[in-house]
Amino acid sequence: MAERRPSSFNFRALILAGLAVLALLLVLFGPMFLDRFTLNVLTRSMIYAMLAITVDLLWGFTGVLTFGQAAFFGIGAYAAAMILTHMGASPGLIALAFALAIIVPMLVGLVVGWLSFSYKATPLYATVISLVLPIVTTQVVFSGGQWTGSSSGLVGYGTLPFGLVGFFRLAGVCLLVLTVAAWFFVRSDAGKLLVAIRDNEVRCAYLGLNPQRLKIALTTVLAGVAGLAGFLFANSSGVVAPEITGFVFGTELVIWTALGGRGTIIGPVMGTIGIDYLSANLSGELPFLWNLVIGTLFVAMIILLPNGLAALVAKFLPARRGAGAMRLTNLAAAGAQVTAPEEAALLSVKDLGKTYGSLKVLEGLDFDIRPGELVSLVGPNGAGKTSLMRCLSDGTEISSGVVRVAGQEINGRTPNEIVALGVGRKFQVASVFESLAVADCLRLALAARHRPSPVTRESDLALPTAALDILRLTGLDHMLERPVADLSHGLKQSLELAMVVALEPRLILLDEPTAGLTKTERTTIGGILQKLTRELGIAAIVVEHDLDFVRTISSRVVVLHQGRLVLDGTVDAVANSELVKTIYSGGAHG
Amino acid sequence: MADAAAKLSLEGVASGYGAINIITELSLAVKAGEIFALMGKNGMGKTTLLKTILGLIGLRAGAIAVDGRSIAGASPASLIASGIAYGPQEQALFQDLSIKDNLRLALRSDRELDNGLDHVYGHFPFMKERLAQKAGTLSGGEQKMLILARALMLKPKLLLLDEISEGLQPSVVTRIANALKDERQKNGTTILLVEQNLDFALGIADRWAVLKLGRIDDEGDVAPEARQKILEHLKI
Amino acid sequence: MIVLLDIVTTAAILFVVASGLLAIFGVLKIINFAHGAWLTLGGYCAVVTTALGLNPWTALPLAFVAGALLGAITEMVIVRPLYRRPLDAILATWGLGIVIGQLITLWFGRDVQFTPNLLSGTVDLFGASYSIYRLFTIAAALIIGCAFAFLLEGTRLGLSTRAVIMNETLARALGIDVARVRLITFMIGTGLTGLAGVLLTPLTSVDPNMGVGWLIGAFMLVMVAGSSFAALAFACLIFGGAQVMVSTFVSPILGGITVAVLCALVLRVSPKGFSRG
Repeated sequence: MAERRPSSFNFRALILAGLAVLALLLVLFGPMFLDRFTLNVLTRSMIYAMLAITVDLLWGFTGVLTFGQAAFFGIGAYAAAMILTHMGASPGLIALAFALAIIVPMLVGLVVGWLSFSYKATPLYATVISLVLPIVTTQVVFSGGQWTGSSSGLVGYGTLPFGLVGFFRLAGVCLLVLTVAAWFFVRSDAGKLLVAIRDNEVRCAYLGLNPQRLKIALTTVLAGVAGLAGFLFANSSGVVAPEITGFVFGTELVIWTALGGRGTIIGPVMGTIGIDYLSANLSGELPFLWNLVIGTLFVAMIILLPNGLAALVAKFLPARRGAGAMRLTNLAAAGAQVTAPEEAALLSVKDLGKTYGSLKVLEGLDFDIRPGELVSLVGPNGAGKTSLMRCLSDGTEISSGVVRVAGQEINGRTPNEIVALGVGRKFQVASVFESLAVADCLRLALAARHRPSPVTRESDLALPTAALDILRLTGLDHMLERPVADLSHGLKQSLELAMVVALEPRLILLDEPTAGLTKTERTTIGGILQKLTRELGIAAIVVEHDLDFVRTISSRVVVLHQGRLVLDGTVDAVANSELVKTIYSGGAHG
Repeated sequence: MADAAAKLSLEGVASGYGAINIITELSLAVKAGEIFALMGKNGMGKTTLLKTILGLIGLRAGAIAVDGRSIAGASPASLIASGIAYGPQEQALFQDLSIKDNLRLALRSDRELDNGLDHVYGHFPFMKERLAQKAGTLSGGEQKMLILARALMLKPKLLLLDEISEGLQPSVVTRIANALKDERQKNGTTILLVEQNLDFALGIADRWAVLKLGRIDDEGDVAPEARQKILEHLKI
Repeated sequence: MIVLLDIVTTAAILFVVASGLLAIFGVLKIINFAHGAWLTLGGYCAVVTTALGLNPWTALPLAFVAGALLGAITEMVIVRPLYRRPLDAILATWGLGIVIGQLITLWFGRDVQFTPNLLSGTVDLFGASYSIYRLFTIAAALIIGCAFAFLLEGTRLGLSTRAVIMNETLARALGIDVARVRLITFMIGTGLTGLAGVLLTPLTSVDPNMGVGWLIGAFMLVMVAGSSFAALAFACLIFGGAQVMVSTFVSPILGGITVAVLCALVLRVSPKGFSRG
């Protein structure tokens, strides 16, 4: 028993597979022993649970708090009910209703996504839009006259010919399929993108991914799923009313998801079915008390147990472990990584300026950097070093002047577009994905160029040689399944560097890569930087305070002071400069 | 361990942000009535140290004592009320508030306002005429003087100043140096300066220390040979 | 002319309703989604004073005190642990709103309650009669606006509060008790919201859900206004005006969503809304 510990991952998967089979049996044979009332309620609960999954994927996994899923559900339900009421319920029209119940919410979802997620929009803004959507939808339904049935809704239209038991099974199977699909998706390589966006959207953009577009796509697809649930609801209940499109229903979905456990798939499903079923049974006898209990539980849960009941249950299950070992392989170099033949500038900065309101932080900067150069950027606090790094990696930050990377102007381009030009940026505080494993972080660095699988988590991880070297030098290659949150600070810095190098950049920007590291770790990082520039011809700009360190790695030093470039020369020229001495002993002004 | 005569003593202090310890095992004692200059290059933890003393950043290890009494866990508000003042380096003024409101914010009650203002006018007479002027419209030197003036409003017993001479003309540096010497002479204020300006620091300090990678690398009395020694540490 | 009066009085009512939410958001950067519940609480304070046979105006101070006390408990128990999780704070306060709503239902029942009008009658203006109470709301909005201006610009607490809004780190480094400023702000905000609930009673019916309908409008206005009362007044006039115009000339139902839709669009174009002035 001590020799061959059975993989606890398999044990966990076994439990879940067992649950799925049990659920399928319940769905198929439930009608044989459940009464009509229960069947009715559970059909509704299971449809709501499908919605809870969509809320959970958006909020629990991606971090976008949404109240808007009710609106997509309502739009889908109304689209179906309106076709069935006003045009009829022939098989062809039912098919049309089915298609529209999915397509219309998706179109609305596309617009809502485009509105919600623009570059530099705050996370709160998406929530704001998700509040406005159901309110608008409800009012549109109210003002729809006989088309929507206004406040009394639509009733008495023809539906799918299934009957109570048929709808129970249909809803159950749909829920089961959606649950299993979502369960596989969030564990797949592509599914890790959602958590990556929640953890660190900035890093996603600086890996060349477009988080805005991903969130718009997710919103659109999940709007379609909500619309499908709406179609099922319109058919099984035979009635649609304005409340199902509304904001209050939207908040209920969030409450069920929260109580069940955001960030898990099973939690919200169980939470929704459990609470909605109990509500239906209890609200007859003690309607207000029941809601009071739910409200109180919800508040307590948000404060004390933000991850819901599922987190509590998970504590008693064996810890999840990687299935088998992740295998590192060498990625065939995408482009020929040789030193550029001509001495053309890779980066060219002309008269760059950056202002915040009336404050000038950078003014009139001019310099070029050629492939293979390792340039150190030094200067006292507030000299504008970090602002410069930001301007070079995010074209929307540039106030004046022109920056070109490999001849292409980057002014106005967002970070992910600049990454595509071959610029990698490492931040001062290690910017990685805390909730993911080391291997997932590295794979995300490849995701912009190699579409990740939406179904499985691959066991091969092919990385460029330079990234592999960093992993081997730091020992990270033996920690591929380790959660990033458990890594030391130095290892996080190394991991981020490996992720940036895995992008195969031509220019790499590093903001204080050695801050807070031990002496050994600094030496390791220094060695890696030299290898990258000398052997692979990558250009690098390093912000660094420690001039002893600069001396060991650097071919060229650029000195910034009060937003201006005051010196550009070799390490020795800078070290012997009277001007630099004055700046650093505090005397210089103006 | 705490030195009885020490106004401020730190013993094995560690602190930092997130996963990083900026300060590690730092020990230091500043005597009552002393001006102590803490030198060091950027990123070596000078600002972090001051914020840790004031309770703005949590203490992760070690002990900090003022007048021999531990201040671990005390809130910034209570430390300031007990006679500590702090002049931060960056974003140290409310740019949209007047000189007067900036000075008022050093106090907990307007009853102390007249006394405080009189005290400050003694050092920087120009403020008297320009109380209503917005801090953001002051020159760089005037802003630094306002930061210092605000720290002096309550006649603190222990003054912590973060690069108060940064980016200033020699004439302004002299005015600030005079104000500090004057304050110490009249009120016996203990002053801990965090500095990169060697001339200013050695001009007024009694003792110095060099901070490197979160610890004290070297320390000594201010003496003619100290300058060269510190330059070696700060060399660029 | 009547339309113009409608615009101004609508703006005044919106301002009264949203100012408590703005005070809290401006300082704490937290959205009190139980805002509607405090409006309801205020409404029921009017119900209680009526039942006790007191002068209807005594409901105002009663609602302020009740709102502020409940606000103090809320800040300490629910909001304080969530300052670093602002989205969770929205949810927790929404949950609190449900709890308060259900407690009120348990106590008073879910039926609509009636309260005496604070000011009744109409006055002839521009050849038509106009409700005196709607005119009074203009005065109420002005009083609340001026009271806030005085509190912020003229008092020590206001100075500390402005310091916390402008630069919380620096305020802390100067020894300002940020926790106390937050607590007092939350109490003032919720007290004021209770008071606004009383002021709403002549305009709407009092029932356990009376506040919820106002929540989204107030929330959207606050998002646009940021932390400035002047910006809030401006937003109320613009969007309140648009609401009146749409309701009058297009459809009352669409008028009900005008504020929310326009605010959302403004925020899309300029994420900081009107707060930069």
